[in-house]
Amino acid sequence: MQSRDGLKKRRAHRSLGFAGVLLVVVAASVAVSATGSAAVRTGVGNSLTIADVAPFTGVDAALGPTYLVACDAASNAIDKAGGVDGNQLNCKSVDTRGDPADAVPAVRQLYATTSNLTMVIGLTSDEAAAVVPLINGNKTVAFGMTGQAEFDHIHYPYFYRLVPADLAESYAMVAISHFMKHYKRVALAFGNDIGSQTFVGPAKSAVAKAHEKLVADETLDLKATTFRTEAAKIIAAHPDVILTEALGPAEAAFLSEVKQQNGGKAIPIIGTSATISPDWYKSVSAAVGASTLSQGFLADNLVVDTQGAAYKAFKQAIFAEKGKVGNTGSFSTYLTAPGAVHLYDGINLAALAMVASKSTQPSVYKGYLSKVASGKVVVHSFAQGVAQLKQGHTISYVGPGGPTKFNNYNESNGIFQVDSYTSTGKVKVVANIPNQWMAAVR
Amino acid sequence: MNVLVPSIAFGLISASVLAIASVGFTLQFAVTNVLNLAYSSVMIAAAFVAYAVNRHGVTIWVAALAAAATGAILSLFLNRVVYTPFQRRKASPIAIVIVALGMTLIIEYGTQAIAGPTNVSYSMSQGSTLAIGSFRLTVAQLAIICMSIVLMLGVHVLIRFTRLGKAMRATAANRDLARNSGIRTDRVVNATWIVSGALCGLAGAVFGMDAGTFGATSTDLFLVLILAAVFLGGPGEPYGAMLGAVVIGLGTEVSAAFIVSDYKDVIAFVVLLAMLAVRPNGLLGAKA
Repeated sequence: MQSRDGLKKRRAHRSLGFAGVLLVVVAASVAVSATGSAAVRTGVGNSLTIADVAPFTGVDAALGPTYLVACDAASNAIDKAGGVDGNQLNCKSVDTRGDPADAVPAVRQLYATTSNLTMVIGLTSDEAAAVVPLINGNKTVAFGMTGQAEFDHIHYPYFYRLVPADLAESYAMVAISHFMKHYKRVALAFGNDIGSQTFVGPAKSAVAKAHEKLVADETLDLKATTFRTEAAKIIAAHPDVILTEALGPAEAAFLSEVKQQNGGKAIPIIGTSATISPDWYKSVSAAVGASTLSQGFLADNLVVDTQGAAYKAFKQAIFAEKGKVGNTGSFSTYLTAPGAVHLYDGINLAALAMVASKSTQPSVYKGYLSKVASGKVVVHSFAQGVAQLKQGHTISYVGPGGPTKFNNYNESNGIFQVDSYTSTGKVKVVANIPNQWMAAVR
Repeated sequence: MNVLVPSIAFGLISASVLAIASVGFTLQFAVTNVLNLAYSSVMIAAAFVAYAVNRHGVTIWVAALAAAATGAILSLFLNRVVYTPFQRRKASPIAIVIVALGMTLIIEYGTQAIAGPTNVSYSMSQGSTLAIGSFRLTVAQLAIICMSIVLMLGVHVLIRFTRLGKAMRATAANRDLARNSGIRTDRVVNATWIVSGALCGLAGAVFGMDAGTFGATSTDLFLVLILAAVFLGGPGEPYGAMLGAVVIGLGTEVSAAFIVSDYKDVIAFVVLLAMLAVRPNGLLGAKA
């Protein structure tokens, strides 16, 4: 009995040890993925790091990988063109989990472990308010994806945005509803995260200015799993259209409920530019059907070049990443996804500014970001830009996101367009939104 | 309000999904004495296995069996490799809870690492909508409710009328006494992990069917609802968990019809707190 007990104890110790090791090893791997891991690409010369600070886990987990595709596409194209004065670019993921409480320590760790950090990209509304002051304090140039209104009024010298302010997006959605589709009864269904809720106030005000009737306003808990009652309340209000943004699985679950409870008939939807994304399309089309989505869905987006030289270079760079990322649905959606287009442009602008300023120090090249976007010779890629700079010309980089002109708050917004999805998941440009439409609902 | 009746129907569906998960959870807790907070992560891992099977053209109703098997295997693994060694070392209950929390993260992020960050949907038809006035359910929702009722009856038969069920009850009541009475409690505990794990896996698949779309972290909040249903009914009380699931399921959906809907899950806890103030051991727990 004693020896059997001893054996049992040893087995228990061994199992306990195994469990402990398993716990530590996997927890360590989770921690590493949570705080960022360097990309494996290596190159000749010095290596400069671009950090993709965004959610890689949690409800917005699809955003970080989308930005990483843009980062890899731009940096690979730059490296192929010889790099930034011989320096190769690396992309590094920093997982904020979509939560400021996780984002701040992750960014602190980024600074503690990355000596060659030259730029930060990503920065969604989930974490931007918490980490932008930190990044700005460390004097790192950052291109953010947040449209939060507070950045329209607070000047962070190192923080740049090529994406529309949420305020303007709300106006664009209502302009589509009122002027283009002539809807009268509007319902709002936005997620309960900061990034989505920021659209609600301006949308309500724009709906009132357009003399439309707001018939329902539902807030969707992004962590909830079903939205049956929310859908029932919206259907009971008989809206002509639903203005919406709810990321993660929420949008798909909600819209599928709306369609099902409405007798299989979908209510027209107008989404924000965030709904032009491979992940959003994949989950929503799977839930409501690709043909339903192709018939009753529109989204606002900034005008994106889909034919010219800039688009050709962008498409080539993006498609070079195909197969390197997981199953994200229709890969071509990246070609119009704001996260891909504008971050690609941001990285190219910064790289050209580094070449023009002959420095990779953010405090030095920052001063050239506007200059390389407003020179005499128009260029559409990093390679073209470097060639012109070497000949002593001043350049104006015009990427797939169009010309860049930063205002006092380092924002550059272009003209809005209306996008839709085809039944195969490709993004189709339906129309441009005239400025007078925007002014009428502002 | 014209959404009251539909919200009652919705509450029944929510209760059905919650009941499968809650009964498995409370059965596990009653017999093994482990508050397995990794339960929801096992659920979602099993849901993804069902998704993988479903993607190969197998109907989700059959793929749900793969989820049940995954839940059973993963739960048994958790017990044998993680919880039992800690219990043998006389780890305190709170230490086991912390270990379970760690396992939640490991399984959840492990699932995300394998399945990717995007959300997925089962390939399934909801069928036609059956309506009695404004009380509407699709065929698929009705099937989920029926499945839940059958499973609850199955659990009832297992607990009341089988040798294993009696051994489970004896082990849950007093493990030492049960062992001294000749019951092989280790086997009973393993069987409980398998049965409750199968319920957990099945709950994962049903959760995915009901939600329409899900990702690796989708069950984070659902765990809270499971705990609410379990403690409302009385921890370790399978019938209490069924009752708790009905109250929480109906409570969340009906309240969403009257209040700002993103607070609907808070209602679950208001109900729980109010009930525990009156009956601290839950609806069917021993009287304090």
